[in-house]
Amino acid sequence: MIGLSGRLRSALIIGGQGIRARKLRTFLSMISLFLGVLGVVAAQAGQVIAQRALVAEMEMTQGKDGTQQVYLPSHEDASRIAMDTVEGRSDVVAMMSTNAIIGEPNLRPVNEGGMPIDQAGGGGYSGAYMVCDAAGYCTDENPNADQPSGQAIELRVQALTADVRQFRALRPQSGQWLDFDGAPQLAPRLVLNKEAAKAFAMYQVPAEMRFEGATAHSTPRFVGVVDDGIGAPQAYVRSDELLNWMPVDALSDPRFGQVEILASPAASDFVDILRNKFAAIGGDQQLDQQLYVNVISSADQIPEQIALMRWVFLGVSILVLLIGSAGILNVGLATVGERIEEFALRRAVGTPRLLLAGIVLAETLLTGLLTAAAAIGAGIVGLAAASRLFGDEQPMLENVAFPWEAGVAGIAAGLIAGVLGGLVPAARAARIPIATVMRA
Amino acid sequence: MTAAPATAAELTAPMTTPLIRVTGLTKTLKGQDEPRVILDGVDLTLHSGESIAVLGRSGSGKSTLLSLIGLFDRADGGQYLLGEQDITRIPERKAAALRSAQFGFVFQRFFLLKHLTAAQNVAMAMVNGQGWLPRRKRRAKALAALDLMGIAHLAKHKPPRLSGGEQQRVAIARALVREPRILLADEPTGALDTETGNVVVEALRSATDRGCGLILVTHDHDHAAKMQRVLHLDHGVLAPAEVRP
Repeated sequence: MIGLSGRLRSALIIGGQGIRARKLRTFLSMISLFLGVLGVVAAQAGQVIAQRALVAEMEMTQGKDGTQQVYLPSHEDASRIAMDTVEGRSDVVAMMSTNAIIGEPNLRPVNEGGMPIDQAGGGGYSGAYMVCDAAGYCTDENPNADQPSGQAIELRVQALTADVRQFRALRPQSGQWLDFDGAPQLAPRLVLNKEAAKAFAMYQVPAEMRFEGATAHSTPRFVGVVDDGIGAPQAYVRSDELLNWMPVDALSDPRFGQVEILASPAASDFVDILRNKFAAIGGDQQLDQQLYVNVISSADQIPEQIALMRWVFLGVSILVLLIGSAGILNVGLATVGERIEEFALRRAVGTPRLLLAGIVLAETLLTGLLTAAAAIGAGIVGLAAASRLFGDEQPMLENVAFPWEAGVAGIAAGLIAGVLGGLVPAARAARIPIATVMRA
Repeated sequence: MTAAPATAAELTAPMTTPLIRVTGLTKTLKGQDEPRVILDGVDLTLHSGESIAVLGRSGSGKSTLLSLIGLFDRADGGQYLLGEQDITRIPERKAAALRSAQFGFVFQRFFLLKHLTAAQNVAMAMVNGQGWLPRRKRRAKALAALDLMGIAHLAKHKPPRLSGGEQQRVAIARALVREPRILLADEPTGALDTETGNVVVEALRSATDRGCGLILVTHDHDHAAKMQRVLHLDHGVLAPAEVRP
């Protein structure tokens, strides 16, 4: 152990002396290697950042890895069954949708059909009230169709039985999230998504809310804004607060989407309970067979393009890395030729051949590591600059941290290049004959 | 069974425990031309504190003999005892360890590393993977060795700033820093003027006062005369020589 330590230390000391004595040559070796290592760092960083962004996007719009996602069959009792099943459970959340119009009564909303506010008034309405028959013939059954257009915003409302953030990584933007611990309030508290918040920022509308199936209009309270990754106006509300104003069956309207249940990976029994309940009411419809169950898996959903792009980028990087290694090899061979006397002398004073090879390898490895450090530093600075310059336009780059995987890849690339470039010079250094060189 | 008759070289050696005993050492160089016999049954014994000069014309095999004794190369035949140990066929890994522990080398061309200071050049002999000394101890030993050579004040100077004599004394300090039992010097004064050469030879000889055995290969009869024994290598055979200053 001591011997090994002594040899390792000796190799590092002599390698360091060699680098210091040939700074320019080391610098030139580093330049030839730098681009290759930087390419590997950038490829790895890009891949990790893109993957993280995709996973984050998926966690926000669909659910976290392992979350069980269940869509209930379209049936008027779907929301009631959902609420009965999840009642008192913290590991399962039911999400039920309806449409709401907030603003002046008896007016057509500016974004009819709940369209993104940027596209409001663009025509081509295809919202929830467009009903098509089997032949593809569609009719507009919009109850507001004949009303004058005015200051009102149409949006989708998601009624939640519990805090959905345990399954979906909604990003808070401002204000608060829904309080599920306290008693429900009469005035429904809404958390808007960014698109809805944008709409309400553009149009100062009166806070009166009317929604499908409601027995009366209510006055909503906006308590916060979240980013849910959805490009249309949407709001989240406690289901019990919404149900002060509407019967539970109204939340089963298939025009506004199927009732969805999100459950933790450990929740195992609720799907069977749901199946049994739907089997009981379904009769010939075989509703229990229409239950769609999905387990969210980011690994299955990372697009192949990312992997392909990564391989292409890595291929090019490896090519450049090999060229860089050839540069180190070239410089290494020239250096060994120049240092024949030094190596012969070191052998004469007792340095074993293996350690001599180790000294040369230590020099190329240190060169590789220094290059890797420079490339990683450049990667960190470059990413910080990109985040600052383009973070507003590219959410992927917003406040992005340099991924450690890219650092590891850079160090590995530097070490591999050091070994590839140093092996032949090391073998040559170890074979230098003392007697021939040191002869008077 | 009768004992083999003592060689001429052995007859003139002092009766102390031999550090080195080589017998019947042979070496033939096999190049593109005809094989050339360099050493043809050389016998040599070196005792502790003994100094031996080896004279001979250029190409007579003096440096080859030294490289075999210093374990730089391997003999074709004969036997090599280091103390009691037969090291005739010693593997390279062990040879390296012996070079580090038992031998000190001084060469004609100094072989100092230009990018290191005098002290670092001396200390480099202790950074060879054979054991480990902390930096402070290495430096202290290097300075002590330089001081022994009377050039401790030049410790921070790099070789290009030193004279030939100073450089050779740094090289001797490097050879002595690991306190070797055997000092091998291959024409150490060949690149020096007479006066500086005398200083260097005296520095080498003084090592024998501390029990070190010295083999000095030289062309200079004056320097050879300062050694306890003088041998002459001719046609691959080593024999006692008469020195005429």
